[in-house]
Amino acid sequence: MNEKVAKLYQERLNRYMTALDCGKPDKVPVSFGIGDWIVKHTENNFQEIFYDWEKSIKAVDDILPEFDVDVFGGGPTLWWPPMWDAIGSKLYKFPGMGLDENSTFQFVEEEYMKAEDYDAFIANPTEWIATTYLPRISTEFENPSSLRGISALIRSSVAFAEYNNYMGASWGKWTVEHGVVGQFTGMTKAPFDTLGDALRSMKGILLDLRRRPEKVAAACEVIVPHNINYALSGAGADTRFPCFAPLHRGSYPFLNPYQWENYYWPSFKAVIEGLWAKGKRTYFYAEGDWTPYLEKIAELPDKSIVFDIDLTDAKKAKEILGGRFCLIGGMPTTLLTYGTPEKVKEQVKRSIDELAGDGGFILGAGGVVMGDAKKENIMAMLEAAREYGTY
Amino acid sequence: MLTDTLAKAILDLEEEQVIVLVKERLAKGDSPLDIVESLQKGMSEVGKLFETGEFFLSELVMCGEIMKDAMEVLEPHLIDSVSGNKGNIVVGTVKGDIHDLGKNIVVMLLKGAGYNVIDLGVDVPIENFVEAAKESKAPLIGISVLLTGCQEAMKKTIDAIRAEGLNTKVIIGGNYIDELVREYVGADYFANNASDGLRVAKQIFS
Repeated sequence: MNEKVAKLYQERLNRYMTALDCGKPDKVPVSFGIGDWIVKHTENNFQEIFYDWEKSIKAVDDILPEFDVDVFGGGPTLWWPPMWDAIGSKLYKFPGMGLDENSTFQFVEEEYMKAEDYDAFIANPTEWIATTYLPRISTEFENPSSLRGISALIRSSVAFAEYNNYMGASWGKWTVEHGVVGQFTGMTKAPFDTLGDALRSMKGILLDLRRRPEKVAAACEVIVPHNINYALSGAGADTRFPCFAPLHRGSYPFLNPYQWENYYWPSFKAVIEGLWAKGKRTYFYAEGDWTPYLEKIAELPDKSIVFDIDLTDAKKAKEILGGRFCLIGGMPTTLLTYGTPEKVKEQVKRSIDELAGDGGFILGAGGVVMGDAKKENIMAMLEAAREYGTY
Repeated sequence: MLTDTLAKAILDLEEEQVIVLVKERLAKGDSPLDIVESLQKGMSEVGKLFETGEFFLSELVMCGEIMKDAMEVLEPHLIDSVSGNKGNIVVGTVKGDIHDLGKNIVVMLLKGAGYNVIDLGVDVPIENFVEAAKESKAPLIGISVLLTGCQEAMKKTIDAIRAEGLNTKVIIGGNYIDELVREYVGADYFANNASDGLRVAKQIFS
């Protein structure tokens, strides 16, 4: 890292760390990633960007020099599909593989875990996942002890390891050449989402809350230590940066208040507190609207989360969580697609006026930035952030 | 206040009791259509409670499941009956998107409210929307979307419907949609939840 980049990196890192600890940095930190929206600015279609990591990385390399962000959210794809293809996963469809080559990846929701599987899951979740669940969701791993099953598992694992190595090297390069700071290390989930997303499915778990609520509670409880360990092991030894927690069914209006308080919150709170006890902060990625639950969220230990404002009422979030937890947001994703650079700049000014006040605020887009977000709007946001964002 | 015990059982989301009551009324010789009407009455109350914020998605999904089970019991008895029909509505999830949960909730509530819903499924090609609109002469077409990347497909679908010169209104529905999205894709209405969609239908068919 040359001296100039090293200085830039240090400035950005300080900005991020100060805001995460609810302090007031020299400038409002800006956080942004390269999402799907970059694809149309490359010569590639979605399939190429998803399957050819060199093309995916190049898309980032090309734009980073003009991308003045403090906290960088990473490249255009969430993962590399071949590791799923190798094992014949039924969970996803990818661009050009079951979907149009210009469509983004999608999740195929099913009750992969049946209601009658609860007891076996609760007794030993790891064993159940390895011996029942994985064969059920993977055409190539239907028979785990067969040569075909074992070789599929090896190919998939090798693909995963290769991808991680490549991404690790790319992040190293981005840091050294452009001085960007990574947004988070490691990831976790709310146990209710672990159970609801890819195991019981949305409909399955919502019906379970009426038909067998005690099983839902017991299953969430056994997931807690796994979700703590997963976050810590995925992050290596790092506790500087928060771990990413994409949240789903806790947003309004999936669950009624009783269900939220008794089935969603206790186990997720235990994960956050367990991580915080190890010095690891949670990136509370609150997609959707979490306004009705802000008071409960405020019960968490000070600074244990950074709260991402998507459709949550920003003023209320500031009022209830502000000062004790860092907030991130201020730019509605729809404005980045349908707005104009002028409107985006006005929004940046308004959000900084309303939310940045005494620190503990990071400017970013709440939730996932859409594939058709306009580059000129994103650039206007970054520009305005610097224009209005000096404390 | 509901006096109909079957409608009340739906409102209370008592799934076992609903099935028992449906079977009892069939055994008593009640007309299957009257039984459906009781179910619809209960469901429409559930819809109202969702609208006022007293019920949540978990209650709507449970209600849908109870309705599905009750309709399975009733179906063989309904074959010769023609249900009351307020009019045709074409519904489908936009091309490129395979999500059906939101769409299914809307379809359930619309059917419950007495509309004849032509459900085109998910990942619906543009020409299927156009074809169904022409064939059914539906005054309302509902396009469901979850993925934010599917705006172009939504716009193209609506453009194609307009290009046919059909006198039909288009509503787009999805959690993230707002006035900006509606304007961009050229829809007449937008809805963030099933009850908004129901309100629009009521307005158009009145």
